[in-house]
Amino acid sequence: MSKVGIVSYGSYIPKYRIKTEEIAKVWEEDSKEIVNQLQVNSKSVPGPDEDVITMSVESARNAINRWGGNVKDIGAIYVGSESHPYAVKPTATFVAAALDAEESLTAADLEFACKAGTAGMQMCFGLAKSDMIEYGLAIGADSSQARPRDPLEYTAGAGSAAFLIGKKRVIAELEGTYSLTTDMPDFWRREGAIYPSHGNRFTGSPAYFKHVIEASKKLMEQLGSRPSDYKYVTFHQPNTKFPLSAARMLGFSKEQIDLSLVCKEIGNAYSASSMIGLANILNYSSPGDRIFVTSYGSGAGSDAFSFLVTDMIEEVKSYPLNVDYYVNRKKYIDYGVYVRFKGVLR
Amino acid sequence: MEPPKIWREKRQRYLGIGVKCLDCDYKAFPLTSFCPSCGSGNVQEYKLAEKGRIIQFTQVNQTSNDMMANVPYAIGIIELEDGIKVTGQIVDIDYSLIEIGMPVRMVLRVLSKDGTEGLIKYGFKFIPVD
Repeated sequence: MSKVGIVSYGSYIPKYRIKTEEIAKVWEEDSKEIVNQLQVNSKSVPGPDEDVITMSVESARNAINRWGGNVKDIGAIYVGSESHPYAVKPTATFVAAALDAEESLTAADLEFACKAGTAGMQMCFGLAKSDMIEYGLAIGADSSQARPRDPLEYTAGAGSAAFLIGKKRVIAELEGTYSLTTDMPDFWRREGAIYPSHGNRFTGSPAYFKHVIEASKKLMEQLGSRPSDYKYVTFHQPNTKFPLSAARMLGFSKEQIDLSLVCKEIGNAYSASSMIGLANILNYSSPGDRIFVTSYGSGAGSDAFSFLVTDMIEEVKSYPLNVDYYVNRKKYIDYGVYVRFKGVLR
Repeated sequence: MEPPKIWREKRQRYLGIGVKCLDCDYKAFPLTSFCPSCGSGNVQEYKLAEKGRIIQFTQVNQTSNDMMANVPYAIGIIELEDGIKVTGQIVDIDYSLIEIGMPVRMVLRVLSKDGTEGLIKYGFKFIPVD
């Protein structure tokens, strides 16, 4: 029986960036200290006509164009985000229409802070593995919000990643997945609230690190694998410091995680964060490489995955609109333009 | 912003769907039920080329309320690789850097918003090909 796995992938990052030092200048904070703490030089900012729907469509189109198959064979589309443009009206239906994938499919929007996209991947793996669908498309996308002067303002970025999942022409076989879920009041946004709130340092040890570390350990325990078995690893990237620390705690080297750390230049892409990291890893992977991924979503939970890259990776790697392309396509803006683009003035 | 109009236009706005005449081979945009060239009703959907070149452009400084958030913005006539000319906004580039002949490609963006509670209208725009 053929194994389920990733068939294709696509990413999208808006062109605009604001530097950490530009934000620090406005609030008269020490930019060197902040960059040193977070290890984030700049973050991505959506243009005034971009949102989770437009970014989801761009990453999905990149996944479909990389694949080259028939969009009518897609049986499920899930979009994970905490910044869907509509409270009621799905992002996923827009994506289906913009891909010309209507009408014979199931679709839904998911919300689980920064891990709703990987939750969608798990749903697609299950549906495809059980032959309920031929292909499923899981998207993580966010245009994250941050209250001005909140520490989040330095990192709350934007981006999207889409993974096509199925059993045919698989580029990375799913070896296993494990999720850890607890009720955790580390980060939240109430209905109708514009900006999220958080528990400051509480978001670290009992939240991010507990879930990422335990989920990763449990999956490796189930698979009988060790960190040294993997060529690459990626974790959720709220900043660069957290995933580096998680890697060190688990026994992964800096070399194994370095490729995925796009957070340095685009900030925290929330639901897309670990998925963009995985997309970038796949761009550089070779047949036989094993990849380890663990997302994190506040509230809280982690989804851990283990993948084995197949020979098919060589067929799709050359697609030009990849993570590197989008990271390098950039224009820096000042805080005034940032305020306009983000709609801070109401 | 009328829901039926958004629904009717979604294929042309999201996907760039026009028509091709099966009698005279003429291609046209937007969607129509007859051929603008020979008048035949024998037409089928046709997906526009996604890349093209700017053949003329200008800057818009005054527009309707639902699009004021994007003002000022550039709008151009784009000759697509299949020869069809369409109008569309040119984004992700400073107006001073836009040039006639510049290669562009389609992306999906927000076209307008009906206040804070109404519908958001999406459609294709153009960005420079890097």
